[in-house]
Amino acid sequence: MVEVQKDAQTLSDKMKVENMDVYYGSFRAMKDANLNVPDRRVMALIGPSGCGKSTFLRALNRMHDLTPGTRVTGKVTLDGTDIYAANIDPVTVRHRIGMVFQRPNPFPKSIFENVVYGPRIHGENNHKKLVEIAERSLRQAALWDEVKDRLQRSALDLSGGQQQRLCIARVLAVEPEVILMDEPASALDPIATSKIEDLIGELKKEYTVVIVTHSMQQAARISDFTTFFLLGELIEVGTTSDIFTRPGDKRTEDYITGRYG
Amino acid sequence: MVGVRANKAHRDERIALVFLILCSVIFVVGIGLVLGYLAWNGTKLFFQDHYSLLTFLFSPDWDSLNNKFGALPFIAGSLLATGFAIVVGGPLGVAVGVFFSELAPKRVADVMKPAIEVLVGIPSVVYGWLGLTLLVPLIAKVFKVEGDGLLAGGIVLSIMILPTVISLSEDALKVVPNSLREGSAALGATRWETISRVLVPAASSGLAVGIILGIARAIGETLAVQLVLGNASVVPSSFLKPAAALTSEIILDMGDAPDGSPLQHALFSMALLLLLISMVLIVLIHYALRKRA
Amino acid sequence: MARALIATASPEKLNSDRARSRRLLDKFMTGVLWAAASSIIVLLLLFIAYEFVQGWGALSWHFLTGYPSASDAGGGVGPEIFNSFYILILTLIFTLPIAVGAGVYLQEYAGSGRFRDLVQFSAESLATVPSIVMGLFGLLIFVQTFHWHFTAVGGALTLTLLNLPALMRVTQEALGSVADTYREASMGLGATKWQTVLKVILPSAIGPLTTGVVLVAGRIFGETAALVFTAGASVSYGASAYDFNPFHTAETLAVHLWSTHREALVPDADQIANGSALVLLIMVLVFNVVARVVGRQLTVRLTGKA
Repeated sequence: MVEVQKDAQTLSDKMKVENMDVYYGSFRAMKDANLNVPDRRVMALIGPSGCGKSTFLRALNRMHDLTPGTRVTGKVTLDGTDIYAANIDPVTVRHRIGMVFQRPNPFPKSIFENVVYGPRIHGENNHKKLVEIAERSLRQAALWDEVKDRLQRSALDLSGGQQQRLCIARVLAVEPEVILMDEPASALDPIATSKIEDLIGELKKEYTVVIVTHSMQQAARISDFTTFFLLGELIEVGTTSDIFTRPGDKRTEDYITGRYG
Repeated sequence: MVGVRANKAHRDERIALVFLILCSVIFVVGIGLVLGYLAWNGTKLFFQDHYSLLTFLFSPDWDSLNNKFGALPFIAGSLLATGFAIVVGGPLGVAVGVFFSELAPKRVADVMKPAIEVLVGIPSVVYGWLGLTLLVPLIAKVFKVEGDGLLAGGIVLSIMILPTVISLSEDALKVVPNSLREGSAALGATRWETISRVLVPAASSGLAVGIILGIARAIGETLAVQLVLGNASVVPSSFLKPAAALTSEIILDMGDAPDGSPLQHALFSMALLLLLISMVLIVLIHYALRKRA
Repeated sequence: MARALIATASPEKLNSDRARSRRLLDKFMTGVLWAAASSIIVLLLLFIAYEFVQGWGALSWHFLTGYPSASDAGGGVGPEIFNSFYILILTLIFTLPIAVGAGVYLQEYAGSGRFRDLVQFSAESLATVPSIVMGLFGLLIFVQTFHWHFTAVGGALTLTLLNLPALMRVTQEALGSVADTYREASMGLGATKWQTVLKVILPSAIGPLTTGVVLVAGRIFGETAALVFTAGASVSYGASAYDFNPFHTAETLAVHLWSTHREALVPDADQIANGSALVLLIMVLVFNVVARVVGRQLTVRLTGKA
């Protein structure tokens, strides 16, 4: 269990969500969500399937923009600026807020090209710099030793766990400030999962991490704060130890004690 | 449960199976016959008339009255017209395929796609006629030439292969998993960057199949090119001078060629050449598809 | 690197120069793609409009039903239109059983095996044979070897070979669109495979099957290169022109367009050609519309859903 920070009150908030609704067509998938995401901590989003935690996560980097018919209202700020403001380009938002998906999705390119995809797009073409970035990101993702001799091989040849760490390296290469993770280990075996969890523990030293997980044990292991969702509503948020030992809301307590899955 | 009814059903099943297999066999027999008859008649020029294969393929002298059967003018015409069609129609077709797969809202696609299907249905003779009455005079005015030739032929062919390339490109792009689009967007790429850097490379073998089928369509096209190419029998020196293709030459001269004459045999050899080129293209397609898997 | 570009969260910095040019490129290419697609639609409309303008004047009852003239102006294309339909129907009669049969076999019966690959490969090869080459094959077999000379049957058989692959693919796709649950339900009730195919699967697939067949029919209607040397480029004049004898020379409308222009014997050759082209174009549109409408109606009537 993660140690409760004594100076929790002086933590700054990297992101703030205010009165956020998400509509799929006319269906209100997320109702009036409010949340402060502390800087350089791990925030876990838990709740039964269908509760809207992935919907909430995807609103944090404007992924819903890609789905026609989806609407997000309310305010989501990054360091004080509303990312949904009219003059903000979603492309740059996703540059600063990265995402790792449930199933690893490496491009059908070499390992090297996968990692440097982001930097290339953002204008970096100096090969020496790209190699540096690739090595740094792969080391951060704890994958460097396993692939350093086969950077030119196809990323699709890697195992599932390696692919997922590659996807994390890919995100790190862009140097975001926030990393959103949507059940990143759910498609992986236990050994790969524990490697990812160790990785998250390292990442939070530099990045703010928001992670959706269906496993309460995982949330308890790796997160500093936990938010509980149910049926499209944000029910409760608090330090992980508080949520799991003395949840304030009965619905939270019912979920934690396993009354529903 | 054995009864009269069940027996009849089983007997019907057997008869049906024989019928169905026969139908399938007809396909095999059909292509076998076509290959056989064309190989037999297409080689008479070389085996019966003892004309040199190399001369046939590479000599630019075609003069049927004087027993000269160098088919290079027509081979060159076919290749050049097809090449033009691919260079112009290929990228355009892929672009529209990208449009349908990535950009077009459903309402727009529902209007545009049936229109493309109409383009498929227009007979090639009508394309040729439109080319002759609309395009050739236009070229004549702009370039101060007669108007017929490879430019007209190439443009007509580009339009004719568009539906094929468009539909296969769209299919190839739709098969690319959505997870790649999301992954690219999540890294801060614009839609065009995702299309050009991730989707098109990922769909490359499917796009190649579309292009190859476009080539096959173009090189086998007869009426449309015959009407606009101009029917010369020399190797074209420019895209604005009259030219001829293998297909157009066959349809023009076959009617007058006496039975059993070397001219007729030469035309059959051209047909055999077209058939062989088509077969090669099929093999290429299989190779491209295997590369994808 | 990237962080330096957009160090603070102020809106101005979130939209750096580089990001702006990438946005511009994205917008530009989006416009290019829209233009490409629209230009093709415009082209199609241009063709149709042009041909209407050119050929409308030639259309008259006499043109559509009268006989062609050998050397005078004022010939019609009645027999040619008749032949187009005649050969179309003949071709469909020959092609449909074989193509549907093979399609049913490959889709419902054949496992993966060498025979299946052979049939599939044969179909693909037949599909790539250029129509003029198929026409020469027809010339060799029907006109020469069988000594039929130019006949409607010869043309129809040649077109059969040409269109077998297309109709087989239509069948396979139509069958593929039928849900497996139907198959399972039927077999579960003790029906044989053939009974299932005949009574359940084919009827369920009738919508897409009809659409596909009508679209292919439209292409058969406009075929030229394969018919010039098998069905011929002339009609017998006089009363026997509307001839139901399949062994008579049968020039179709599409072939007539070409031969009229080629021979240029009549003074109004261009006008006849324009009129023929317009009729062909109108037929294409009709075939397309009928294919969709009838196909959809059949599906709705059968399954109760659009």
